Amino acid sequence: MSSEPLWSENLRKVYSSKGAPPVDALAGVSMSVHPGERVALLGRNGAGKTTFLRIASTLLRPTSGSIRVFGYDVAEHPERARPYIAVVPQEGKPFFHLAPREMIYTYLRARGLSRETSKTRTEEAIERMGLTEFANRLCITLSGGQRQRTMVATVIATEAPLLFLDEPTIGMDPFARREVWASLRALTAKGSTILLTTHYLDEAEALSHRLYIVERGRVIVSGTSDDLKRSVGGTLKVSLPEGARHVDSFQSFGSTVTDGSSLTIIVAPERLGELMDLTIRRQLTATVGPVTLEEAFLRVVGRKIDED
Amino acid sequence: MRTSTPPATLRPTRPFGGTGAFLWTEVLVQAHESLAMATSMVTQTVLLVFVYILNPGLIGVALIGAVIFSAFTLGQRVLNEAAYIRIDHKANDLYLAGPMSAEGYFLGMAGGILIVYLAPIALLGGLAVVVGHLSLTTSLALLGLAGLVWLFSASVGYIFSTFFRDNRAIWAYASLFFNVFGVLPPVFYPFGYFPEVLRPLALVMPPSAAAALLQSLIGAATLSSGQTALAAVGLVAETVIVFVVAIFWARRTVRGP
Repeated sequence: MSSEPLWSENLRKVYSSKGAPPVDALAGVSMSVHPGERVALLGRNGAGKTTFLRIASTLLRPTSGSIRVFGYDVAEHPERARPYIAVVPQEGKPFFHLAPREMIYTYLRARGLSRETSKTRTEEAIERMGLTEFANRLCITLSGGQRQRTMVATVIATEAPLLFLDEPTIGMDPFARREVWASLRALTAKGSTILLTTHYLDEAEALSHRLYIVERGRVIVSGTSDDLKRSVGGTLKVSLPEGARHVDSFQSFGSTVTDGSSLTIIVAPERLGELMDLTIRRQLTATVGPVTLEEAFLRVVGRKIDED
Repeated sequence: MRTSTPPATLRPTRPFGGTGAFLWTEVLVQAHESLAMATSMVTQTVLLVFVYILNPGLIGVALIGAVIFSAFTLGQRVLNEAAYIRIDHKANDLYLAGPMSAEGYFLGMAGGILIVYLAPIALLGGLAVVVGHLSLTTSLALLGLAGLVWLFSASVGYIFSTFFRDNRAIWAYASLFFNVFGVLPPVFYPFGYFPEVLRPLALVMPPSAAAALLQSLIGAATLSSGQTALAAVGLVAETVIVFVVAIFWARRTVRGP
């Protein structure tokens, strides 16, 4: 029996509704998250990320398969697993008629923390997440990003052994996102483990030790972001804004992707000079940069992460 | 950066765990909406004014009915709040995917709403005692029966809240349910005014059963021993059954199907 923070084997979830064919939201997901890790689940809309997170966080029953939190069977004994977890739900909002300070404090109290600990952690979370200025304002008066920061602060303050964060930085400005990243890093340094979903590939790359890419309810690849980037067959990306009609000429250099009139080629550094010669001969403009997780995702899934 | 130290063994979720803390949360949430508190007595006040204009002699009966009706409509607030938190905020996931118990969430919410709206209900109760010259026994009976009606309606409200996916649908059904069961039967007016053929029905509906028992105590209604037993046993039994179902349902609906 695994006592990893999170472990699943062949986890399946089929949604059935009257008059509609059953939907395989999860078609056999096996994964494990090790202590102190930050792991990202990546996938397009409907890939199965949130379904997995909801099952793991005891909010949804699996159809079959096994899933354990710190060794406790989530399906059979959710009451054993719940004390170990905390969740930022997708599109979750704080109580509009509470101020962030009240929201965090009362939530910690509801989880059974003492008054003193709750108070200390509330103040720490407020400061860490940059909420000090509006900590006593009702959430209804805050912006969407500030509310989301309140939600994340509420969950981070629990210091739960295992945190599930479903799109935790959605709606936040870049500065706030970096504050969240720093807080999550600090939390794992203290011993917590984090599983998050995100649509921001830069966030996944900057934050996670490992990634799982999910498509149509299956894990299709996993590893570090460097592993994934290496898998695309090169380390440089050449973008030709008007290159799509020349795609045949460039295919021998590496993998190519066309998007409208533009062409992107993944190429090994040693062939870059040769490729640039051809670009000049064809009188095309080009930009060269390092391969990012976006290319890796596109290569693995065949579509962009924001493509339906 | 990483640690291999497993967390200390944590206690599993305790039955009714977190009730008090979530009750306090709900008190804070509701207390910030003072306008809702102020408007919570509008229907009762309007009905009381009508009764006073039409027959001032029935104001004592109507005041008792207003207390019972107020306790009953708290269930509608539980329904609205539980659905709103779940559908609009998804904050139920925040609380329930953690050590807090599902029944603590339900009871904390219901209790918090009760506490915040208690002041105007107590005011009505005080008026009922003074205007109706209620004895200590009758006053205690009013308190106890209003408490049963509250527990019944809060349980029904919470159970109903789990069936909706859209808040707009709730407004219509909730208003219909709570007005049909709280206003039409003999709650604000004497039990004897209700059509005889429908009286057994009124005695098994918690708000009118409680009102009939209280009216009987102050001499405003004449109930046979069978009717008294039906109202009293029915009210207690229905409340216990619905409360137990609500606890079971709260636990069951933490997880989707």
